[in-house]
Amino acid sequence: MLTLVAEQIVNGVFVGMGYALAAVGLTLIFGVLRAINFAHGDFYMLGAFAAWAAMTYLGIPYGASILAALAVGLAAALIMSRFIAEPLAEAPFQNAVLATLGVSLTLQAAVTLLAGGTFKEFTGGWMDVVDIWGIRAVEQRWLLIGVTIAVFVALELVVRYSRAGKAMRAVAQNREACRVVGIDIQRVTRTAFVLGISLAVLSGALLGPILVSIYPAMGEGITFKAFAITVIAGVGNVWGVMLSALLLGIAETLVSGFIGTTFREAVGFVALIAVLMWKPLGLFAVRARY
Amino acid sequence: MAGAGPGTRPGKGDFARLAAILAIIAVLLALPTFAGRYHLHIAILSMIYFYPALGLNLIYGYLGMLSLAQGAFFGIGAYVGGLIAVHLQWPLWLTLPAAGLVSAVIALAVGVPALRLRNYSFVMCTLGFVFICESISKNWVSVTRGDMGLSGIPRPFLGLTPGSMQISALTGYYYLAFTLALLGLLIFWLIVRSPAGRAMRAIKEEEVLAESQGIDAGRYALVGFALSALFGGVGGAIYASYMTIVSPLTFQLYYTLLFLVIVFAGGAGTIGGVALGTVVFVALPEALRMAADLRQLIYGLTFLVLVFVLPQGIGPALARLARRAVTAVRRQRSDAVD
Repeated sequence: MLTLVAEQIVNGVFVGMGYALAAVGLTLIFGVLRAINFAHGDFYMLGAFAAWAAMTYLGIPYGASILAALAVGLAAALIMSRFIAEPLAEAPFQNAVLATLGVSLTLQAAVTLLAGGTFKEFTGGWMDVVDIWGIRAVEQRWLLIGVTIAVFVALELVVRYSRAGKAMRAVAQNREACRVVGIDIQRVTRTAFVLGISLAVLSGALLGPILVSIYPAMGEGITFKAFAITVIAGVGNVWGVMLSALLLGIAETLVSGFIGTTFREAVGFVALIAVLMWKPLGLFAVRARY
Repeated sequence: MAGAGPGTRPGKGDFARLAAILAIIAVLLALPTFAGRYHLHIAILSMIYFYPALGLNLIYGYLGMLSLAQGAFFGIGAYVGGLIAVHLQWPLWLTLPAAGLVSAVIALAVGVPALRLRNYSFVMCTLGFVFICESISKNWVSVTRGDMGLSGIPRPFLGLTPGSMQISALTGYYYLAFTLALLGLLIFWLIVRSPAGRAMRAIKEEEVLAESQGIDAGRYALVGFALSALFGGVGGAIYASYMTIVSPLTFQLYYTLLFLVIVFAGGAGTIGGVALGTVVFVALPEALRMAADLRQLIYGLTFLVLVFVLPQGIGPALARLARRAVTAVRRQRSDAVD
């Protein structure tokens, strides 16, 4: 029994690490734009499909296909930032919801038209089993954990110490004041948006080999989970995102392991409502950080 | 505004509008005499989708709350309707209200916590609810039969015993769907014209001001949410009785977004706009035999175009255009007289 629980918790950590990478991008965008990108999960899907397409049609190895996915994601993010996110930064929130839902539908339809709507098998990645501290998992999972931790450390350093990071925190706190002191709001917004999207794309490309089967609607749930994680963490809290993502991943595997897969998708929902009701600033919000 | 409210004397525009509505009803009544089977099928589908779209219009167009849960209530109604038809074999006039009621009760349970949230949190909660419903429909195999779905749902009947006054011919379905759509329209119209409907609009315009006038915004939001789910559930049950199959695919986000594009593009907060939206986004793509993914692409681009170009929707924009044309013609006439 105990080993079973331990096993589920380890599984949950692996799942949570994937969520963390996608969710921190959404947090970054929400912090700076005060807008939720409903197409966030679809960029995660785009990352997986772009990597798959690069391997299948260009015949390049998996490692290079991650870079190809990032390039595709970067281009899409720049277009979306310039023509949709930036013009809507100060519009009523419903416009941002409807527009990003439109992007979500468009991306899914575009991928379906190009690749077909059926499940695709993602063959590739580094799939040898490695034993670290008695935990056996495929290399790809360890890679995901390594990349996620590296990204979080880098983000923390950038947001806290770099000029661009300080500008992001400033824009998150007060757009008007930033305009007064001459911060290029548009550039900060675009940087944060493109960076946030790239992290979603990266998580999709890294999770492809682990998920094995990928499909155009695979990102829908991720958008919701990333939002739940952002809220649970407290907006603008980088390490809180990591902790919340791990908590969600562990809770999900425990629920599906011991109560039933029927309720797996309800975990994020219940956690989101509970946190919004009783701790609306999030579990780990010491102070708004950026 | 023409026909602004009860008590105002009918103006010229009202008679023109009434004549237009009667003409549309007459054409729709006569449709089976000249339309082919495929076109009848399209008309039935449009009339079925009209229900959930009206429901979404109530919560979004009149109360100003953007809910993505409408597809879930549609799906719940479809499953409840299907299960009743398979296991209990109730007549349709009992099945539909039952399915609507179940959806409405679930909406109350979800609405009590969710409606305390605002903006993104509310939208996300309604989105999360769709995923939960999808997951339950896939995994609660003993009731829903999982991914296989409920198939072989018996044809609906109107008599007292199973099978009596059964509806199975396409024309029968058409007149059934038409009657129900007309009934739904009438009920919806009565709701939004009632004092409660005016209170809802007041909440949408300015919540704090409405509350200072003694309108309990929270209660109206909850009742509006339940009513929107009722419409969604009834629509779902009609859908199940027509398609005779329900599967977890009913909970795809596609349906929620279809209802949203109908309401948003047609003109949120209007009835004619929603009818127009149903024609443009259900009947037209179906008539053009557009593939599902192409349709999805067009819906997605429609959202983008609307947000940036026509935030009021197509219906109100057309109405504005028509009014401008009428005044232009009048001016020309009075110039000619001079």
